[in-house]
Order: sequence, then C-alpha cells, then structure tokens
Amino acid sequence: MATPFRSGRKGIVGGLEAPERDLLRKLFRDVILTLEPDPREDEDPLARLLGIGEETEPPEDPALARLLPRGTQDEEAAAEFRRFTERSIREAKVGRLRMAAMDCESPRLELDDEHAAALSAALNDVRLILAARLGIETEQDAARVAEYSDWEQAHDVESYMALVYQFVSWLQESLVEAMLGRLDSGSH
Amino acid sequence: MVTTLDRDMVTLTSTAAPVDAEGLPETVPEGEVGLLERSRSAPPWKVVVWNDPVNLMSYVTFVFRSYFGFSEEKARQLMLAVHEQGSAVVFTGGREEAERHTTALHGYGLWATFAQEGE
Repeated sequence: MATPFRSGRKGIVGGLEAPERDLLRKLFRDVILTLEPDPREDEDPLARLLGIGEETEPPEDPALARLLPRGTQDEEAAAEFRRFTERSIREAKVGRLRMAAMDCESPRLELDDEHAAALSAALNDVRLILAARLGIETEQDAARVAEYSDWEQAHDVESYMALVYQFVSWLQESLVEAMLGRLDSGSH
Repeated sequence: MVTTLDRDMVTLTSTAAPVDAEGLPETVPEGEVGLLERSRSAPPWKVVVWNDPVNLMSYVTFVFRSYFGFSEEKARQLMLAVHEQGSAVVFTGGREEAERHTTALHGYGLWATFAQEGE
C-alpha cells in the first residue's frame, strides 16, 4: 500500500509499491496517447510553431472532451478559442504527464513544487478520464463509485475501473493536502 | 497576485494618466479614482469556474491559491461557492486575461469558461 504524501524539508515525499507504480505509469501513458494529436503531414509549420491548431470542434470522445472543454458559451468564440489554445493545453498536459510518469519510476518519491504540481495535475487528468468512462456526472454517481473500496470487489471492468478511480483519488487527495500544508508553512 | 495587482491598478489610475487601453477613459477624471470606480469602468469580462463531481475540493483550493495567488480564506470561499452554488466568478477584467486564465485552468483540469459580464 502506498505511503501517504507528506511535506518534508526536501519537498514532498511519498512511497509507492511496484504494482501501484506500474498502474500509474500505464494510466499516464494512456492519457498521453489520448491527448497526443495525430501528426499531420499537410500542416502549416508556422501554425504548429505558434501553437495554432486546426481543431475548432470539441473532441468526439467524451473523456477527451472533459480534458479539453469548451472555453465559452458563444459558439464562434469557442471555436476560435479552441483553435488558438487547444494545442498548447494538450502539450502542457502531456509534459506534466511525462514528468509524473518518470517520477513514478522510483519507489520513493521526492517532489519539489514543480514536480508535485505536475503529479497532482496528472492524477487529476487520469481521474477526469476514468470519471467519463465510469459515467460520473453527479454527486450520486460519485457516491456509487465510492462504494468500491476493496480490491477483492474487482470482478469486471467497471468495478476494476471504479477501484482504480478510488485509489487515484486517494493518492491525489494525500498529495494535495501535503501541497496545501507546504503553502501554509511558507516553505513554498 | 490578484490582490497586489488590484492595488497597483488603483495606484496607476489615481496618479498617472491612464494608458490607452480599451474601456479606460481618455482623460483622468477629477479627484481620486477609488477602487470601486475603477472596477465599474473595467472591461467587463469574467472567468467562471463550474462545479463537477470529480475535482477534489482540496485540489480546486490549491489551484486557486497557487495559480491566482489568492489567500487561504479567499480560495476556500471561492471553492465552497463552486461546490455549493454550482459556480463562482474567479476573475473580472480584460478579455485577453480572461482567456489566458481559462486556458490555464483547463490545463489544471478545472471546468472554466470566460464570458462578458451580464451574459
């Protein structure tokens, strides 16, 4: 079982068992694959350099759409916003997910503020994707998923995914509490 | 960060001629320009953060504190407003800044939108 995160002199420290590290790295990789846009040969290199994409519509995959929501109600403005920001949001997320995956290679995690923030955002993206797959849209849905607490309850994909969601939630909560403690103590 | 920024803005508008920005008066009105006057004439764009059953209350508080630099008290109040009332306005100001904050909040995984005041 993972050691809860705590704020120490060198930053935030925590510990993960080998199966937990494997699971997290796999989850981060999956989210990276979901986020990385397919390379386009006909793309304008200048547009790519400036981070301007072709996308103006929300992603069809509801899980990806949750990671890249619309920026504003007005349809035209939302399309324009997406064209100018979606690529950079994807890239920022992928960067944090890669950093998080690397940090999870070691059984003992020692995180400075940047790495801690990257891991908490990466865990959040994993939870958003899992929540979309589990159909968590209301507090009642969240409560239904929270009923799974023991790995022995894993008997199908749904229950396994719910247990993974609970584990990642617990880990993120523990990390963010340590990060808040660090802000309070002024060692940030 | 925002608190400091607001204070700087007040100092700017009350002592120096305003820069040629959208929504700002061409000339300095007579007398002191206080905080309330300044915010009434500010470009009316806002960033709203919406409630969802996934984002942890602690995480939302952390993002408000670390990204916007809000105090513990302010971050907590805004987080509770999101959680209990369904949404909260976390920024009011220019459109460009509102879009930048929305982009950053999407990066953190928060559900945020920008809109013109009154929409």
